[in-house]
Amino acid sequence: MEQVILKYINEQLLFDNEMEEDLDSDTDLLGSGILDSLGMVQLIAFVEKEFMVKVPPEDMVIENFMNVDSVCAYLLSK
Amino acid sequence: MQLFTLPDIVKNSAKLYPNREAFKNSTNTVTFFQLDTKTSQLAKYLIDSGVKKGDRVGIYLNRCLETVIAIYGILKAGAVYVPLDFTAPHTRTKLVLENCEITFLISSPTLKSKVTKLLGHNLSLKCIIGLTHDVPVKTISWEDIFKIDLTEYQPIKILENDLAYIMFTSGSTGEPKGIMHTHKSGLSYAKLSSDLYGLNHEDRVGNHAPINFDISTFGYFSAPLVGASTVLVSDAHTKLPSSLAQLIGNENITIWYSVPLALIQLLNSGMLDKLNMASLRWVLFGGEVFGLKYLKELMKKWPNAKFSNVYGPAEVNQCTYYNFQSLPPNIKSLPLGKVWRNTDFKILNTDDEEAKLGKKGELVIRSGTMMSGYWKNKELTEKSLYRETLDTSIEYVYYRTGDIVYQDENGVLFFVGRDDRQVKIRGYRIDLDEIESVLINHPDVNEAAVMVLNVGNEKEIYAAILLFEDRVITPKELKLFCKKHLAIYAIPDDFEILKDLPRTSSGKIDKKRIIAIKKN
Repeated sequence: MEQVILKYINEQLLFDNEMEEDLDSDTDLLGSGILDSLGMVQLIAFVEKEFMVKVPPEDMVIENFMNVDSVCAYLLSK
Repeated sequence: MQLFTLPDIVKNSAKLYPNREAFKNSTNTVTFFQLDTKTSQLAKYLIDSGVKKGDRVGIYLNRCLETVIAIYGILKAGAVYVPLDFTAPHTRTKLVLENCEITFLISSPTLKSKVTKLLGHNLSLKCIIGLTHDVPVKTISWEDIFKIDLTEYQPIKILENDLAYIMFTSGSTGEPKGIMHTHKSGLSYAKLSSDLYGLNHEDRVGNHAPINFDISTFGYFSAPLVGASTVLVSDAHTKLPSSLAQLIGNENITIWYSVPLALIQLLNSGMLDKLNMASLRWVLFGGEVFGLKYLKELMKKWPNAKFSNVYGPAEVNQCTYYNFQSLPPNIKSLPLGKVWRNTDFKILNTDDEEAKLGKKGELVIRSGTMMSGYWKNKELTEKSLYRETLDTSIEYVYYRTGDIVYQDENGVLFFVGRDDRQVKIRGYRIDLDEIESVLINHPDVNEAAVMVLNVGNEKEIYAAILLFEDRVITPKELKLFCKKHLAIYAIPDDFEILKDLPRTSSGKIDKKRIIAIKKN
């Protein structure tokens, strides 16, 4: 699950990475400008489709989408 | 005390409200007393390191508490702050850094990988404040700045007409243009806006905009002027509207100011019914037109709040307002409203003569909040001004907004459109000619036509491309190329490589026809 999400972000959302380091499962996705708000919408749409879950608006919060680890933890709790 | 400069704001509120919360971000806060001390510590470091009055100091920070310390610290040192867009491509950031001869940059550990990459671009940076990292220039951490002893601190003499900040926006030649504001124009804005909205020390202002956006001056200048608290919305909150809605409720925000898009996202999150936001008394929006459909829905969710349509190019910050709690039933579009105090205007026709009442023309503005010009660009500055000479010795200088408006019999202004190729999309000012000049710089591109398409309720940037013969390039490659040279928000949403571009009789690319073809 972690690798699938990382791969998606790396290939689809970060096509021109201006960061020094590679993306890790604990890299902050929201604070340092890796994803913009459109990227966030795309990521949510991707996990919904890929893992066949529905992410309701009240779950679209920082605690669940801060990094890939938190996305995985959230998905496992579903 | 009488205030003349922006740092006077902090000094004054530190005296009147030393222990009140001045700024807050997530879990961190500073009181006015702490803000005064911390900004003096930064100023002392800058002065001791050789920063001279008028020097430009760059701020490369995400939305965080250090932004306000950087702004007032730089200003106290007599220097000029230049807010940089940390999401911009490095080539663009490099242009601004070089153009302003910036040698001191203020940042934070959050952006260390971006800063490291930025340093790979052969910059003449001498010092980075806010992160200690293995980089080839001098660095000092925030912790060390906040240990600086102030017993020998000598404040720098600053006058109201001294330059305070330069905000960069896109320019049609592809080079960003720097809008210069003085302490006086910045403070004028803070006074006028706090007065207009009855801002007081009990208010809690929600600041959504990054510091490179003029909307941010409300949270950074106006709120501290009256001792109000500013809650700096984090980058994470701007991306997750449900979290943003919780923040507004939990922080008891009383005055909100953002682009309409942020409010639309809040509305679409469906969270506004579930949370208590009764503390909101003013909702300000600006930067682009707010569609009436969404606005009316939002007004239903927040029946006790007053709303204000804020208008003004960054060159004058704000100049008109339309305040309302309900809307006339037959309203077709939201008025720009009336000009505020200490501001005059004219509506000029194409011959620079005053348009008759009700007739369309370009809005020109004269105000205490007006910029002092474009950085290092006298020619462009002069082009942007309209001069009226009376009795040979009196001259009134107006800024040409480039916006076409008309005025009704009550003196209320209405927006019609723009007279050039600047557009506002998702709140950002985008120059379509700039995108074209970037595309044409690609070795395979012969000609490019960039325009705005209305797709459903959204506006999209569309680029029609004509390649040189025998060249092959994919839209994705063009997008990558644009990403290196343009701000993220200016990258076209749709690239199309055409075999031929339709022309007008004079041989120009016929953009109207391209749009018409695209619509079918």
